[in-house]
Amino acid sequence: MFRFIRWMAMSLCLMICLLAVSGCGVTRRGKPDAGFEDDLLSVEGVDQLAGDYALAGRFGEDNRITDVQFPPVAFQYDSFQIAGSETAKITSVAEYMRRNADIRLVIEGHCDERGSREYNLSLGEHRALAVRAYLIGLGIEGSRIQTRSYGEEMPVDARHSPDAYRTNRRGEFALYR
Amino acid sequence: MRLVCGLLGVLMFTGVWSPAADIEIVKPGGDKYLFDLSGLSAGAVAGSEFKQTLSRDLELSGWFKAGGVTTASVLVKGAVEVSGGTLMATCMVRRRDGHSYLNRVFSGKPDKSRVLAHVVADAIVKAVTGKPGIASTRIVMVGSRGGTKDLYVCDADGGNLLQITHDKKPCLFPKWSADARGIVYTSYVGGFPDVYHIDLVSGRRRRIAAFPGLNAGADVSPDGREIVLTLSKDGNPDVYTMNLRTRRIKRVTRTQHAAEASPTWSPDGRRIVYVSDRSGSPQLYVVSRDGGRGQRISFHGSENVSPDWGPDGRIVCSSRRNGRYQLVLYTVQPQAELQITGEYVDHETPSWAPDGRHILFTKTQNYRSDLYVLDTKGDPQIRLTRLQGDWYSGAWSTR
Repeated sequence: MFRFIRWMAMSLCLMICLLAVSGCGVTRRGKPDAGFEDDLLSVEGVDQLAGDYALAGRFGEDNRITDVQFPPVAFQYDSFQIAGSETAKITSVAEYMRRNADIRLVIEGHCDERGSREYNLSLGEHRALAVRAYLIGLGIEGSRIQTRSYGEEMPVDARHSPDAYRTNRRGEFALYR
Repeated sequence: MRLVCGLLGVLMFTGVWSPAADIEIVKPGGDKYLFDLSGLSAGAVAGSEFKQTLSRDLELSGWFKAGGVTTASVLVKGAVEVSGGTLMATCMVRRRDGHSYLNRVFSGKPDKSRVLAHVVADAIVKAVTGKPGIASTRIVMVGSRGGTKDLYVCDADGGNLLQITHDKKPCLFPKWSADARGIVYTSYVGGFPDVYHIDLVSGRRRRIAAFPGLNAGADVSPDGREIVLTLSKDGNPDVYTMNLRTRRIKRVTRTQHAAEASPTWSPDGRRIVYVSDRSGSPQLYVVSRDGGRGQRISFHGSENVSPDWGPDGRIVCSSRRNGRYQLVLYTVQPQAELQITGEYVDHETPSWAPDGRHILFTKTQNYRSDLYVLDTKGDPQIRLTRLQGDWYSGAWSTR
């Protein structure tokens, strides 16, 4: 009998250990870090521990607006500076967002295929963040604007020419309601 | 369990892969142990696959070369047979003078003769050379076929290729967990670039980092407790660490006008090498895991990207020189560098094998990418992927 109880206790311990290792029994010790800056996105309701794939706290693809489109912002090679010739495009997006207070925006940063994929992902994010900063400068609330870098993963033109590269270096505007 | 894994890791780094002064320089094609398998009888179909796999594994280890029965210095004798639903490999490995290296019976499943051959190959490598084998390790990569990208896993010899995701969404930078049981990577399956963990045993996938903006390039620490990754939630891409249990994150770099990418742990888990463009071009920096100002370690090449810190302390990266990406080794102390490729094609995303000798990398020529294995001791490169499509971002398992 004692042996049986001891066996049960050991099995239980082993099960707890296995659960802990497999991650099924993850317990939350305190809240996940939420040190977001004020002008950045609202993260209320974002559960980093959620095991599902729902876009908690992010804009859903369902609410994507497709009937209004703005031309993408073009960038120089290996640069996230917004050229003077491109600012008018951003200004027209800002005007539209000012007139439509319920509109939210995801800026998608893209790169050409030159350079490493990792670096391009960061560069694409920098491009999106630069456009976002410009919009904030024009008075649009930061909480209405998110960023999404695709790096070099989603070229518009799959060819390997300077023209294709110029087309692929861009910041696109994805509007959501 | 975690502790045991951690301890094993420590033992591996201090025991097996300590800076080995006894490693002799092996010249290409020379100074290898010649082996002979003719004394290993293999009747069944599984047996002949076993023997072929074992022979190739021994050559891929870099320490062996197939020889004849009269010239070989390492003689493998025994039998491979299926008995009572089990594949049994009885192996006696002897030196020509009679010294016994190994005398063991290995068993496995009859339909997994390749797996058993990998185990035997690693045992022979260890017994004869004292060095860790890589036959049982695995490789994860991104495969782009017909315009869709997904993750694939194969054995170290390129065989047993398996597709492990079916998302048809961009996926990036797969890396192995410390126990080689799972994979962390970046996927757009949820619409944004987030970091996921796939447990290859249970098949379960969890999202582990989904902050606003970019979540990318996660690398699991040697003790398996943390990841280091790139996040842009604070306004620009910086390096952070995240405790996998508590999900607490800690900022490691703090650059307002630069982008950081590709953070990778040192083998002791105390430092991190990463890419930053704060100098105006992407270069390598090393920083303490606790943060601080990164120390630049790459000074040649217009770009130095995709670092991987090897088990013996050498950092391999892709360095742009004369218009092409070449593989370069860096050591931090003393600071030194050595270019190890020269062919006028692109060599990218290098990843160390756990033996600290072989490096997996992506070779791109005419806009087509395949994975290759390079031997830092000079053996010829081996092409690993042969199927149609583009194969890149390969990562060698940690064990």
